[in-house]
Amino acid sequence: MSSPATVKNAETLREVAGEGYKYGFVTDIESESAPPGLNEDIIAFISAKKHEPAWLLDWRISAFKHWQRMEEPHWAKLRVAPIDYQAATYYSAPKRQNAPKSLDEVDPELLRTYEKLGIPLNERAALAGVAVDAVFDSVSVATTFKAKLGELGIIFCSFGEAVREHGELVRRYLGSVVPQGDNFFAALNSAVFSDGSFVYVPPGVRCPMELSTYFRINAAKTGQFERTLIIADKGSYVSYLEGCTAPQRDENQLHAAVVELVALEGAEIKYSTVQNWYPGDAEGRGGIYNFVTKRGACRGAHSKISWTQVETGSAITWKYPSCILEGDNSVGEFYSVAITNNLQQADTGTKMIHLGRNTRSTIVSKGISAGRGQNTYRGLVRIQPKAENARNYTQCDSLLIGHKCGAHTVPYIEVRNPSARVEHEATTSKISEDQMFYCQQRGLSQEDALSLIVNGFCKEVLKELPMEFAVEAQKLLAVSLEGSVG
Amino acid sequence: MIVKAETAPYVEAFAQRDGTDEPHWLAARRAAALANFGDKGFPTRRQEAWRFTDLRPLQRAAFPPVSGDGSAPFALDAYRCPGATHRLVLVDGKVAPALSDLGALPEGAFLASTAETLAEAPDLVAAALEESDAQGNQPFASLNAAFFTDGFVLALEPETVLERPIEILHLTSAGAPRSHHVRNLVRLGTGSRAVLLETYAGAGAHWTNSVTALHLREGAALHHARLQDESAEALHFAVNRAHVGRQARYRSFVLTLGGRLSRQDMLVRLDGEGAELALDGAYLLRGEQEATNATFVDHAAPGCTTRELFKGVVADRAHGVFLGSISVRPEAQKTDAHQLNKNLLLSRRATVDTKPELEILADDVKCSHGATVGDLDEAALFYLRTRGIAEGEARRMLIEAFAADALERVEPAALRAYLAHHLQAWLGRGEEGGR
Repeated sequence: MSSPATVKNAETLREVAGEGYKYGFVTDIESESAPPGLNEDIIAFISAKKHEPAWLLDWRISAFKHWQRMEEPHWAKLRVAPIDYQAATYYSAPKRQNAPKSLDEVDPELLRTYEKLGIPLNERAALAGVAVDAVFDSVSVATTFKAKLGELGIIFCSFGEAVREHGELVRRYLGSVVPQGDNFFAALNSAVFSDGSFVYVPPGVRCPMELSTYFRINAAKTGQFERTLIIADKGSYVSYLEGCTAPQRDENQLHAAVVELVALEGAEIKYSTVQNWYPGDAEGRGGIYNFVTKRGACRGAHSKISWTQVETGSAITWKYPSCILEGDNSVGEFYSVAITNNLQQADTGTKMIHLGRNTRSTIVSKGISAGRGQNTYRGLVRIQPKAENARNYTQCDSLLIGHKCGAHTVPYIEVRNPSARVEHEATTSKISEDQMFYCQQRGLSQEDALSLIVNGFCKEVLKELPMEFAVEAQKLLAVSLEGSVG
Repeated sequence: MIVKAETAPYVEAFAQRDGTDEPHWLAARRAAALANFGDKGFPTRRQEAWRFTDLRPLQRAAFPPVSGDGSAPFALDAYRCPGATHRLVLVDGKVAPALSDLGALPEGAFLASTAETLAEAPDLVAAALEESDAQGNQPFASLNAAFFTDGFVLALEPETVLERPIEILHLTSAGAPRSHHVRNLVRLGTGSRAVLLETYAGAGAHWTNSVTALHLREGAALHHARLQDESAEALHFAVNRAHVGRQARYRSFVLTLGGRLSRQDMLVRLDGEGAELALDGAYLLRGEQEATNATFVDHAAPGCTTRELFKGVVADRAHGVFLGSISVRPEAQKTDAHQLNKNLLLSRRATVDTKPELEILADDVKCSHGATVGDLDEAALFYLRTRGIAEGEARRMLIEAFAADALERVEPAALRAYLAHHLQAWLGRGEEGGR
């Protein structure tokens, strides 16, 4: 609970915030940031900036209190430089005159930055039929195709907007999959999350387009704390794409997102990620610390949640997209490609918690280590006593390129029901010299040969990606492995 | 020193222990090991290697470290291995000369009790004590170092070959709960070979806490089979640390049938190029039994091979745990390591936890692991029933075939037959898998 003083503080801040934005339009994007540090006042500041209702501020404060009592986790196979949580800035928003009503009104500087990153926002929207809710730093600046989605009753908006417009839905589901005190980074996110995306698909509606958000980190020393909440009501379907790029930066940046998915009876959510945050330079300087909590709950019978991820970026990745299979006959899937090159470290995997009858899960994980990268698959498959006839199939393959990298596999299998059938397979091998030789004697360069073999190795995962993402991902694999042979 | 409640009975017992006739170096090592035990305390589920192990049966009672006088009468027939000609019997943690028969040992072979060895060749006993007793993260191994009084020592000079199996029987008699700490050493010189069979059996709610050090020098070969068939109330912890040298071959098999709570920690380091390891086992559990097989294989040299297969049959309310770790160091190129754990869950209340783990820091390797958990194959069961085989018998056949699969690589045949015999005896003891 927040003290009266905190509430008063928040009110004062709200007044201050209300008179902001008076400096007009500027070409340079100045962020209006909170002072560095983390305390209840900062949280109240963030909440006030975003004009949030009292219940959400209370929720944040309660998460903050959880967080203060928690310790940073150190069980992952990662070497993390100490993070000074008090030195980071927890809020930063691009300045703007008014909320843009169309692309024309969007800050052209911003659009140019996206173009440099190869994301032609307007073209993409028109050609690929993708509605983009782009997050630049922490606040959504462009939302397209809203009307079209609105006709079907689909809500796709920034998290901040959802809090204002659909408060009841948010309140009902926020934290229902990833509770405030779930883990250290989720608690931190719950306390200070800035913005993110919100999706609600009404019963029986099949979302006609892939929903997509591009995240970017811009302002220096700004941690990003997105919060994504996707709810697929009974019998609905939605496919969501998430992609990340970040410009070069010297200082490590903390990124602690939380994604919650809720699939009700018969609903299906497909969540695809291409993660390409700045990985640091060849000497391991800089790069993003990516500590993400992603979890989906298959609440209803016959529901399905499918995670697909291509992880090529970040200096450190700590991420376990999970499925809680509560509903009978529900299905969880996890397809992952994780690449570590240079000094990158990745500790990633999934958790499949089988609670309902006839629940099924599939895990396909492909880890590629090059340079001095360290790549760990860490996964849990748990079959609870009531999960009759549960099935799991897990396949983890690791590919090693070069002799200074490492590949590790740490699966946990916990079975509490005899009717379950759980299979786990893992292999580790180096890139085959025969294959390289074959490709090269057919005239492919060493790098092209490597790219071809790696793409083949990852094919089972890449085919799960939506088409436009798949093309991008293939290019990304090649770029990520540049200079790792020879 | 702050004494943790659960360690107090052991710390007190150590203070009262009469060790006046022991050499100074041993007393010092015992004290260091006990300090480590007192410091670490019992493992907890917050420790990764112990997260699946329920230590309550051990915590509920104190097991004073008392060893027998080695004179208790025992009928050995059930645990004699046909064809074995060298026999050493320990009763309640102490060698019983009346029951033992070392037979004719060839030149260069040394087989004796640890107590005797301490008098004759103390260096060998020193070799059985490792630095990790005083520092390591195996508190029970430290406790063992503090209290052991006996065990067995097998040492072979270079090129010595023992063709016939050596059998070591660790027996316990009924009586008040107590703990037996046995410390064993197997040291095989260059090019030597041996076949070793260990059996743990007996009555009573005791705690057997054994530690064995195995050193295989270049080109040595050891076939090592263990049967743990203790009473359903017994607690059994065993730590086996093996160092396998260049071109040496170590084949280990452990069959777990008994014990209320048991745990086998097998730590193998492949030290020399071209070493070969076969690390296999089976565990068949029913009632309230809990058994853990924890294997840690460290590929420290290039060109080594590991083949690992553990099979589990878990019935009633039993709990089977497999922790398998294979790590490959950067210099261990050309490693070929495969690990597999398969489990049959036969009852609604039975549980299995398995964690096969690979940690690979070299690139030119072939490594894989696999794990499965499932019920008996309905189709196979149906097939047998269409052939007129009653359901109970059909289930028994399938379970036996499942478990016996792991036994196939046990050599020589005498050892395989011995283990198969006890496997069948377990199956015959009752229809497990009341669903």
